[in-house]
Amino acid sequence: MNSKHIQLNSVTKKFQNNTVVNNVSFDITDNEFFILLGPSGCGKSTTLRMIAGLEEITSGSIIADQKDISYEDPKDRNVAFVFQNYALYPHMNVRENLSYSLKLRKITQIKIDEKINWVTNLLKIKELLDRKPSQLSGGQRQRVALGRSLVRDPIAFLLDEPLSNLDAQLRVEMRQELISLQKKLSKTFIYVTHDQVEAMTMATRICIMNQGEILQIGPPQEVYDQPNSIFVAKFLANPINNILKSNIVNKNNEIFIETLGINIVNKKLINLSQVFFSIRPENIYLESYDRDKTIKVEIIQIENHGHELLMTSKLINNSQLLYFRISKENKITLGSKVTLGFNVEDLLFFDITNNRRIK
Amino acid sequence: MNNIQLNDRRFGFFFVAPAVVILSIVILAPIVIAIITSFYDYTLINRSLDNFIGLNNYFESIANKKFLHSTLVTITFVFFVVLFEFLIGFLIAILLNQVERFRNVYYFILLIPLLINPVVVGLIWRMFLHPQLGILNYLIGFIGIEPVNWLGDPQNAFITIIFVDIWHQVSFMIILLLAGLASIPEEPYEAARVDGANAFQQFRDITLPYMRPVIIITLLIRLIFALKTYDLIYIMTKGGPGDATDLISYYIYRSAFIGLDLGQAASMSVILLFIVCIIIYPLFKYMSRADE
Repeated sequence: MNSKHIQLNSVTKKFQNNTVVNNVSFDITDNEFFILLGPSGCGKSTTLRMIAGLEEITSGSIIADQKDISYEDPKDRNVAFVFQNYALYPHMNVRENLSYSLKLRKITQIKIDEKINWVTNLLKIKELLDRKPSQLSGGQRQRVALGRSLVRDPIAFLLDEPLSNLDAQLRVEMRQELISLQKKLSKTFIYVTHDQVEAMTMATRICIMNQGEILQIGPPQEVYDQPNSIFVAKFLANPINNILKSNIVNKNNEIFIETLGINIVNKKLINLSQVFFSIRPENIYLESYDRDKTIKVEIIQIENHGHELLMTSKLINNSQLLYFRISKENKITLGSKVTLGFNVEDLLFFDITNNRRIK
Repeated sequence: MNNIQLNDRRFGFFFVAPAVVILSIVILAPIVIAIITSFYDYTLINRSLDNFIGLNNYFESIANKKFLHSTLVTITFVFFVVLFEFLIGFLIAILLNQVERFRNVYYFILLIPLLINPVVVGLIWRMFLHPQLGILNYLIGFIGIEPVNWLGDPQNAFITIIFVDIWHQVSFMIILLLAGLASIPEEPYEAARVDGANAFQQFRDITLPYMRPVIIITLLIRLIFALKTYDLIYIMTKGGPGDATDLISYYIYRSAFIGLDLGQAASMSVILLFIVCIIIYPLFKYMSRADE
């Protein structure tokens, strides 16, 4: 087996008495685009920095390339790191920035020139070679920072929110470029972001973290469709997901969900009296005729997104909020009462005590 | 420029005017008077500006062996003092930069020598170093070293003066360099660590380039002040023994107030001022460039 995969075993990080990463384990296979996703302060960056060796682990172990690297120096780990604020060497020009790691490894000048030639073609930064970082735009700096990691032949690329300092347009472009770059290079990327759109669009697998713990790991569509907790259901949503609370009553073989005023069949809910449930805004329809169930709501806010309208409505019978999206052609006015349709299969139920999904 | 800007400017002048007036009286006027005096045969015995001798005072100064000697002593003194203060200061600053606990306590301890008046420093050290009564000779006696005549022997006196100046002024270097070190961001170091740089390479490729402006400014400022060292000499050696520690400022003082030849002394002051200006120039240029 010549696998270069990276493995974290029960890795924990404490700063004094403050546990920032708690018992984190995962296994990243070759050439994976693995994304650590979570809100700020969830420990995702710390996890990445521990893989790079920039933070020491408190307990657990990190295996890379079948070697325990838990306590090795960053320079001996052979991983490349791309920093959020680029961290270019300000006194070196682009060429020197790119070649620094190669020079330290005593690689011949011919090889270095070859590498730089290759990477500047790949990232289209050839004309920047003689400039200093201060003479570059944010996007160009990002490219150089990326290039600096690419010239080496590391076992993995670690990227810490590399796009968060770019403007929206550039971010979309770089996103696509990174995807194709990763495919072209066939290398392992471990990527940290708080942006669920980046995670959804780029990852082969997403690892969602909160408060130092892993909540769920899986391919993007799987975690989107099958969130195992309320946090994941809420976090992986653009822009928002509906999480509502309901009393439930068991009648014969049917479960009555009070908030929605509907009966469904679901054996797992039989012994419960209260439950959280989620339904995504895109699964709620204004045309109710061919849907399983309907609900009456009153529109309380309309947000125009250009291509569609995001509606905030209030359930008529118990005033919980329900978001849904409609096309911009619809002329619904504020305060009007409408009937919405949805399908029972789009409802996901969560335990009220531990917020875990009821499967 | 419109009316409002013009008014603002007038208002600004109004605010700086008192400072300009005071500085003119205490700094600019004496300099001008000194320059004028340097062209006359003006002595404290014959205090009149009626004997204009042009550049004669300057020619005499340059030809004066004692003046040249004290110039040489000063250059040697400045070189060693600045070099060692920089090396020791940088080393301590690097060490202190890694300290987190009690940082302010260390800062305060470091500041103490700087807070002491140079005259007091000289007096304290003169007592420490007294051949018979000084604590230093008493202490080295315990490890079997014969008493040393620290300030009485020409060779010793020069080294001792350098040492005391280092003791007094090294904190200045430490504090400025420490401030510089503390302002270097963490990320380039992290990038260098991942890129494979060891501690020395990080120092050479990150710390030094980042510190370059701070180092230049610190060295220049210290250089200028070291050139003007006077009070320490006055208290500790009076330029002696012989003329072993006869720094330029002290020699000028002696020419003026012991030799009573004010015109001559003024010409030497102007030469010193000229040298200082040459040294200040790059500093001035550097700082005005940093403003942009």
